[in-house]
Amino acid sequence: MFKYDYYRAETPDEVCEVLARYQGKARIVAGGTDIMVQIREKDKRWKELECLLDLSFLEDELRYIREEGDQIHIGALTTHTDLERSEVIKRWIPFLGKAASTVGSPQIRNRGTIGGSICNASPAADPLTPLIALDAWTVIRGRDGERVVTLKDFYTGQGKVGLKEDEFVKEFTVRKLPEGTVTGFAKLGRRKALAISRLNVSAALRLDEEGRIDFARIAPGCIFSTPDRVETAENILIGRKPSEELWREAGKAVSEEMIRRTGIRWSTEYKQPAVEAIVEDALIECCGSQFA
Amino acid sequence: MKKIEVNFIINKKPVTVEAYPNERLLDVLRDTLKLTGTKEGCAVGECGACTVILDGKAVTSCLVPIGSVEGREVITIEGVGADGKLDPIQEAILENHALQCGFCTPGFVMSAKALLDENPDATKEEIRRAISGNLCRCTGYEQLTVAIYEAAQQLKEAHREQI
Amino acid sequence: MNQVKEENYNVIRRSKPRIDGVEKVSGRALYAADLYMEGMLYAGVLRSPYSSARVTRINTDKAKAIEGVEAVVTFADLRKTKSWAGYMYLTDRIRYAGDCVAMVAAKSKSLVEDALEAIEVEYEELPGVYTIDDALEEGAPLVHEEYEKNIFKDSLFHIRKGDIEKGFEQADVILEREYRTQYIEHSYIEPEAVLAYMDPNSGLMTVQASAQNPFFTRRYVSDILGIPLNKVRMIQAILGGTFGGKEEGIGLVTARAAYLSYQTKRPVKFVFSREDSFLESSKRHPFRLRYKIGATKEGKIVAFEGEQVDNCGAYNNQTQFMNWRANVHSSGPYEIENIKTDTYGVFTNNIHSGAMRGYSSPSLIFGQEQLIEELAEELGMDEVELRRINCLKDGSVTATGIPVEYVILQDVMDDTVERTDYIRKHAEYKQQPDTRFRKGIGLAICYRGCGLGAESPDASGCMMIVNEDGSVSIASGLAENGQGLKTAYAQIAAEALGVHYEDIQFPQLDSFAIADSGMTVASRGTVMGAQSVRKAGEKLKKVMIKNALELRSFSLEGTDLTYEQLTEEDIDLKDAVFFLKAHPEITVPFTSVTGACIWTGKQMAAYEWFMPEDLPQDHETGQGKAFPTFAYGCVIAEVEVDMRTGYVDLKKVTASHDVGRAINPALIKGQIYGGIVMGQGYGIMEDVAPKNGKVKNRNFDSYILPTSMDAPEMDVQIFESGDPAGTYGAKSIGEPATEAVAAAIANAVYNATGRRIRENPCDLETVLLGKKLR
Repeated sequence: MFKYDYYRAETPDEVCEVLARYQGKARIVAGGTDIMVQIREKDKRWKELECLLDLSFLEDELRYIREEGDQIHIGALTTHTDLERSEVIKRWIPFLGKAASTVGSPQIRNRGTIGGSICNASPAADPLTPLIALDAWTVIRGRDGERVVTLKDFYTGQGKVGLKEDEFVKEFTVRKLPEGTVTGFAKLGRRKALAISRLNVSAALRLDEEGRIDFARIAPGCIFSTPDRVETAENILIGRKPSEELWREAGKAVSEEMIRRTGIRWSTEYKQPAVEAIVEDALIECCGSQFA
Repeated sequence: MKKIEVNFIINKKPVTVEAYPNERLLDVLRDTLKLTGTKEGCAVGECGACTVILDGKAVTSCLVPIGSVEGREVITIEGVGADGKLDPIQEAILENHALQCGFCTPGFVMSAKALLDENPDATKEEIRRAISGNLCRCTGYEQLTVAIYEAAQQLKEAHREQI
Repeated sequence: MNQVKEENYNVIRRSKPRIDGVEKVSGRALYAADLYMEGMLYAGVLRSPYSSARVTRINTDKAKAIEGVEAVVTFADLRKTKSWAGYMYLTDRIRYAGDCVAMVAAKSKSLVEDALEAIEVEYEELPGVYTIDDALEEGAPLVHEEYEKNIFKDSLFHIRKGDIEKGFEQADVILEREYRTQYIEHSYIEPEAVLAYMDPNSGLMTVQASAQNPFFTRRYVSDILGIPLNKVRMIQAILGGTFGGKEEGIGLVTARAAYLSYQTKRPVKFVFSREDSFLESSKRHPFRLRYKIGATKEGKIVAFEGEQVDNCGAYNNQTQFMNWRANVHSSGPYEIENIKTDTYGVFTNNIHSGAMRGYSSPSLIFGQEQLIEELAEELGMDEVELRRINCLKDGSVTATGIPVEYVILQDVMDDTVERTDYIRKHAEYKQQPDTRFRKGIGLAICYRGCGLGAESPDASGCMMIVNEDGSVSIASGLAENGQGLKTAYAQIAAEALGVHYEDIQFPQLDSFAIADSGMTVASRGTVMGAQSVRKAGEKLKKVMIKNALELRSFSLEGTDLTYEQLTEEDIDLKDAVFFLKAHPEITVPFTSVTGACIWTGKQMAAYEWFMPEDLPQDHETGQGKAFPTFAYGCVIAEVEVDMRTGYVDLKKVTASHDVGRAINPALIKGQIYGGIVMGQGYGIMEDVAPKNGKVKNRNFDSYILPTSMDAPEMDVQIFESGDPAGTYGAKSIGEPATEAVAAAIANAVYNATGRRIRENPCDLETVLLGKKLR
């Protein structure tokens, strides 16, 4: 059984100090829904763990969903339930609310935070795909102040995020989607609750006055080693009118990108057709099926 | 590893416990406070047998480090019902034969209570979603869903009478 | 056709509240893990990570040196490493990744983990076999050196009925198919737990365990300690589900805890982690089913040939009993003149398979009920009609050559077909356009021998005591597993004795209160086990009537009756009131008689033993009466399949079951709802899927069960057949409730997709690609 000390952070500065003091041997806990499982399973990553640093008492500083101009700021301690219920999210980036609503179970959504979900760096994390689709930035706090990095670049490799020893994630910032943009989130799991995504996709679209797509975002989860949008698929959509055929082309572009990046694997036989279907689902959810 | 002192409210009463930092709320409830109605089924937050209400929300106590409950309020199955009487949710579960082995039952009661405390107008679909983090291998969930729905109707009725 | 309706019973056929309901719903009920004692130690085991290996070195010095670690025991320390049932308490020859090499007891759970981590073990890996096919290969590594081959001979059974060759000669159509099923886990929510302690007053090794079969578990304790059975007191703890799973695993855990307690002279609590439970509790046997079936063009099945092979894993875990039942049920609920079946198990280096709700039938029916539909298609015939022609009816002769009576199978099927509009939907879905989401409806029928049958003695005992205040205490040799046995028994006791249900108390089983009545398995609890309760109640009723008469309890003043004329035959007892049959207005409360009995030394207790009729069977041909009676059922599943992801959405299940007599209709419905959802898991998502014997899915994050949002709409119909064989005519329901569900789902998937899934489950990959993706 891992043995470690417990430290309850009272200010953001203190978080950085304690992290620095333990030189990589302190680990942040917020909702505990991932880290508590990993510690129990004696995950190799935390073999050296000396301190569990509790962020959950910084709710005043880190739990918020704020609308500021054309940006939305989401504090790292925002729970999945918060995201699911937020009017701001519903109004501007509804697919993030929907993605959060499919995470685990009510108990997990009540405790699990967006910061924890991202820092745990699972490629199947449901709220990850809408944030990637939105080109979110990660606001990172360290002893020397704050720095900002795109969420995409925050992932430095499979299961890895780029945080220095004294740093933690303070918030995610996204730009509101252009007025009139519609979004979709589709997920394939093996059951309807408590499901880890086998595949998931976020999509956002806007149509111009003539009904042609002039803004498109497609971000699939579970299929790349680090999360990313699929611009080839997005470009296919631009300038064209929604149709069943078009969705199919976009789906194909995503599966081709998957194979280009990760090669043919034992699971490709299944994932290739299935990811195409899920991409189409997300696009259909954006526009409704009236175009298809 | 040094023990830490944690103060919190359990079933409306303040309590102070000493615990190792690697203990979970579940360990303290069961081993220290002997509140054994909260069960351990999987220890990874999947089965919901250890569900308690923490600051008004249903959570799996196997994933809560004990230090995190400082100053917070916890309600367990032992704190459900008043004056020695069962809660309407519990009554409805009995009435509907919505339990068999009973091991998961306290967890279901807590999830249902968290839901109905917040949303007494819950539909059956909302009830199914609210208990989707609680696994039951005996009942197939059918009688549980009906029971919680009936309890909601009853609570609403009682509420209306009070007004 | 009988559906539930009131008859002249006073207590049974009513949905009485559960006798243990309040304790459970309030969280006050104490399960084994909830028990604590002063000075109690915690226990744990060290398991091999290898599937086939030998321990070459083991060093426990570091573990022993840890303060607070009170005992470290290895295979070398035990007087006896092999349990009476063949499994290993601890071992140095590893036969599956889960075998234990050492165990510890320490002052805290954390210290137990530290001690286990501090034990140094070196292994030499040995070749192993993992699949049925590999185990049967010529020259395959042997799982047990003492056997010549990996075939487990004691589990070999045959059916030889009629003349199989002649049968196939008569056939216009012959079909050969292979079906396969997977390992699944019982997944009771309570992991195995036990508290063991020496009772200082009696000197008895006392164990409170989450044991499905308390007497069976007691045998392990006596075995490991080498002490007589009466030096062990077994008290069944409240059981948090079992479904056949808390038989061997809990026996081993209890024995180990008792051993550690004996060594340390301290109470020892041993609670399995979920991972322990996955690694050491048995799994449902995977089967390889090879069937050949022949029928005339008119649809009469004339010959059936089957080879049924199951994977027993590393140790024999009831495979011989499993296979005896599989053999009897091999050709399904059909009357077929010529049958040849061989059923046997093979050893592999996997977790042992064992009893699990359905005991081979869920696997067999998955094959049989698809086979019958494949045959219908080959014949160009309606699949319901083909079943009608061939299904068992009154007077039909079963595979074991015995005629059956009270067969309501066809009625149950026809009613269910009509209720679901199956015929129209099935035809319509077959023709549906090639869209992404396709609907399907599928049917499966089933029959199940009630109780243990000729598998082993189905005997049981019951002790019933009336107290001076009229309250009644009962003790039975069968146990509450969560299914509601205590409630049903209390109803039967009250009905038979003639008192109120509320007057009965029935505490947890204590080995000092009643005789070993075998295991609470095979859905035998109500149908057979309760016979002794009824007998005891009826006997005690006679005794109490005699007492009432001898004590001249009735007031006959003002009537022309005299005690000289009255006999026991003239008196009855119902609802806790004695009355004269000819003058029902002349009554005496039960309590006034019981109050008088205590001061006059009258008998107020009865002990009865029930022994069913002898069922002799011929081993070579399998002919002879197998079961006292059969329960029949029909399940119809409706699905929607996503043709692009392979996701099977189970929309609705209609389940109709012949329960003989419904002792408690609400409990029965609960059994059926639960059985349906368990069948859904088996049919769609559950798979332990060990890789080279190693179980990777060892908790509920990777081994997935249906949730409340997955459960389908359910329509449950209860049928009563009037068959008198079981207690008050009751039949089995626990296992019938789940056994046909996966087959109905597979047939529905076929109806929707045209894809025949012959390897369970219908998971995403299998439905989309038609094969397992592993």
